[in-house]
Order: sequence, then C-alpha cells, then structure tokens
Amino acid sequence: MRTNNKFTVFLLGAAALVLLGAGVVRAEDQLDAETKARIDRFEKGPASVDVSKYPQDIQDNYAIFSQKCTQCHKLSRPVNCDYVLPDEWSRYVKRMMRKPGSGIDSGDGKKIYEFLVYDSSIRKKALLEDKLGKLSADDKAAAEAKIKEVHDKYDK
Amino acid sequence: MWAMPLMNDGLKSTLVQPATAEPTAARSTVPVWIFLLTFLLLFLGTVYFDRYSGWFNRQVYAPYTSGDQLASYQPRSGAAALLAHGRVAYETACGVCHGTDGLGKPGQAPPLAGSEWVAKDISGLARIPLAGLNGTIQVGGHEWSLSMAPMGAGLSDADLASVLTYIRQSWGNKYGAASADEVKSVRAAINGNAPSAAELAKMTPLERGHAVFQKYGCFQCHGQDAKGGVANPNAKTAEQVPSLIYVADGYTREELINFIKRGERVIPKLNPTGPEPPHFMPKWGPVIKDAELDDLAAYLLSLKPKGDNLGF
Repeated sequence: MRTNNKFTVFLLGAAALVLLGAGVVRAEDQLDAETKARIDRFEKGPASVDVSKYPQDIQDNYAIFSQKCTQCHKLSRPVNCDYVLPDEWSRYVKRMMRKPGSGIDSGDGKKIYEFLVYDSSIRKKALLEDKLGKLSADDKAAAEAKIKEVHDKYDK
Repeated sequence: MWAMPLMNDGLKSTLVQPATAEPTAARSTVPVWIFLLTFLLLFLGTVYFDRYSGWFNRQVYAPYTSGDQLASYQPRSGAAALLAHGRVAYETACGVCHGTDGLGKPGQAPPLAGSEWVAKDISGLARIPLAGLNGTIQVGGHEWSLSMAPMGAGLSDADLASVLTYIRQSWGNKYGAASADEVKSVRAAINGNAPSAAELAKMTPLERGHAVFQKYGCFQCHGQDAKGGVANPNAKTAEQVPSLIYVADGYTREELINFIKRGERVIPKLNPTGPEPPHFMPKWGPVIKDAELDDLAAYLLSLKPKGDNLGF
C-alpha cells in the first residue's frame, strides 16, 4: 500500500506539472502576453513614492500626478515602470493626455512630466545612467540638458 | 574452481550466516535530485508532446503538430479547398467580431448565421467587406447601429471570394459560392475613384498614406482627416473614438505601427457596469500590408498642427 500511495502522489505531481507546462506554452501564443506581463510586474510594486525629501513644488506636482493618472490605471504602473528618459516620459504623458476625456490640460501634463523626470533622476538613477549610456552622444547631451532644466527649475 | 569446496561440503560452508542473525531490510533515502530530474524530464517531455505530438492522433507524425494542420496540407477538390481557405481568412479578418461560430457579438457585430444580408446576391454582400458599413441596418429583426471598417479591402479577389463562400455555406447558411470575378467587379465599382497602381507610384509617401487611410476606412471611426468626433457610447475616451492628429506627440513610428497591427480589442468603459462600447480598434496586422503601414504611419505622424508645442 505504501508504495501505491507514493506512486499516486508522484502521478498527481506529474499531472500538475503537465498542466502547468501546457499553460506556459499556451500563454506564449498570445501576441501581447509580453506587454501584459510587464504591466503586471510593474503594478505589483509599491503604489506610491516617498516625496518627503523632494522640493515642495515637486511634491505638489506629485499630488497632481497621483490624482490624474489613477483615473485610468494604478499608480504603481508608472511608479515602477522602466521609463526614465525625458523623451520617454514626454511621449507617454502626452499619449495619455491626448486621450479624449483625460482631464489633463497641457499645464498639468507639464507638471506631471517634470515630476516624473525629477523622480526618475533620483529614484531610478541606476537605470537612467544605464539608458543614458546607450544613447548616442548627441541624444545623451540632449537628455541630460532636459533633466538639468527640470532640476534647475525646482532645486533651490 | 573456487566453488568446488562449497559443492563438496554444503553443510559446513563458512558463507552460511549464523542462525541467530535476523535478516534486516535497510532503508536508504532516494536522493532528491532524482525526483527533480524525473520531474524535469517529465515536464520537458510534456512540453515536447504538447508541441509536436499532434495530441496522440495516430495520423499525425512530426514535424506536423495537429490533425488540422496535416489536413490543411492535403490536396482537395475545388469546393472543399475554397471553403478551407475561406475559413482561415475569415477567422483572421472577421472572426474576432462576427465570431468563429458566425453568431456575432451583441452590441458590436451582427450575426452572419441566418442573416438576410448573407443571402443577398454577391454584389450586395461583397460591398460590405470591401467598402465597410456605417449607420443603421436591420439584421434578423434587430436594428444595429454600427460602423464596420472595410476589413476585406486588403484581401485579394480570390481570397475574399473564398471568405464570402465560407460565410454563405457555414452555420446553416446554404447559398451559392462567390467567384473571384464577381468580387473583382464589385471592387472595381467601389474603387472607381481610388488611385491606380501607377498613380500610387507617383505619389509622395504622405499622399500614399492618406490613400491607405481612405482605403481601409480609417475615417469611418477616426473621422475625415483623422480629426475624430465619431461617437463611441460608454468608451472611457469621452465616449468618442480618439482623433489621431496628435499621435506624433505620443508615439514613435515603431510604436504607432505596432499599435495599428495589434489593435485594441477591449476599450475601457466609462461606466464599468455599462455596455461594451461598440467601436474598438481592429487588429490590422493581417490586413494592411507592411509597405502600406509605413506610408500610413508617415501620414499620421504628419498630422500634428504646426506650432502646437506643449513646452515639454
């Protein structure tokens, strides 16, 4: 009997793995499974940023960011995502802002963009350095100038 | 030779154990790695089976992966081949909305099974995938107010004829087959004003992109010159289909092309408990050709009003 039980357990375990394996293979077939996985990963992270050490105006921008962006998605998505470059943030903020009914005007859009660039240059510094290092010299200089512009405006 | 003494004197062999010793059953643990290895091999084997076994169908051998795939390679007679071909094309271009069962989607796409529109003559039916539809139609006693993009405009005459034949002869529909010539004449009637290949070759990429925008009926949902304004009830985007004039702000060329190819099947709802918004972005990848997509992207990226600078 003992051997039989062991064998049953073994079979059950194997069956579970079989199901898992089939599931993994099926998921690969989906076209945007990769994108979904990325978003899921981002959304599992923390849903807020500790802005207590940032300048007051950036803290105000953070409030706008957290209010406007959560109309459509979790805040943890932008907080943990891998966008760090000014161009990336500019593009994505504009993409969201241009959706009809977003309720984000160009003034808010700019504040959100500045918060994200400022925050990325501190909280995601390693990733930012990494991405800057992969840009061409011209693009790198342009990106650094944009980051500096935001810091000059808010650091007093 | 060494066994000789034993044979000769079995009673006094030194190899015989003393009578006092009990036989013991020693238990030794099976190493964990054997289990892991077994599971791993089982797992890999299962994955392999999933991909290549044809799910144990005896008629399927490597490198084919399923009975359906194998069947698709078999030579067929004219009618069956046309239907099989039509089915594949239908499921790629039409099935997402009208369903692989031809029953449609409530509020989004009318059924094709039993539809009086399918029973019409070929010229009436072919007009729908070639030119798209906008407005209100009656199907099966219900009123549908929708717009359909010309999802068949990118198919060849023969391919579209096979799709129409499949629709006319599936899910209980029993009407005559459509021929490529019939589709061709309907296409010619619709495209009377469409640019010819020679004219297209002379155009700039932007002009060609605009022609692509017209050809696939993008304007039906995104408005003339992509300025938006078409209603999409209960869509989170202010209940309308977005304008496209600012895509240059929000997308790189690659991102834009990928988005068009992939589409957006599920549109976020304004009221989460309300109905599904009727319009969504079709998956254009299988429909619009790559060269056309390049021109379309160039056109869309050129639409941003001059001097409209947000300052970031």
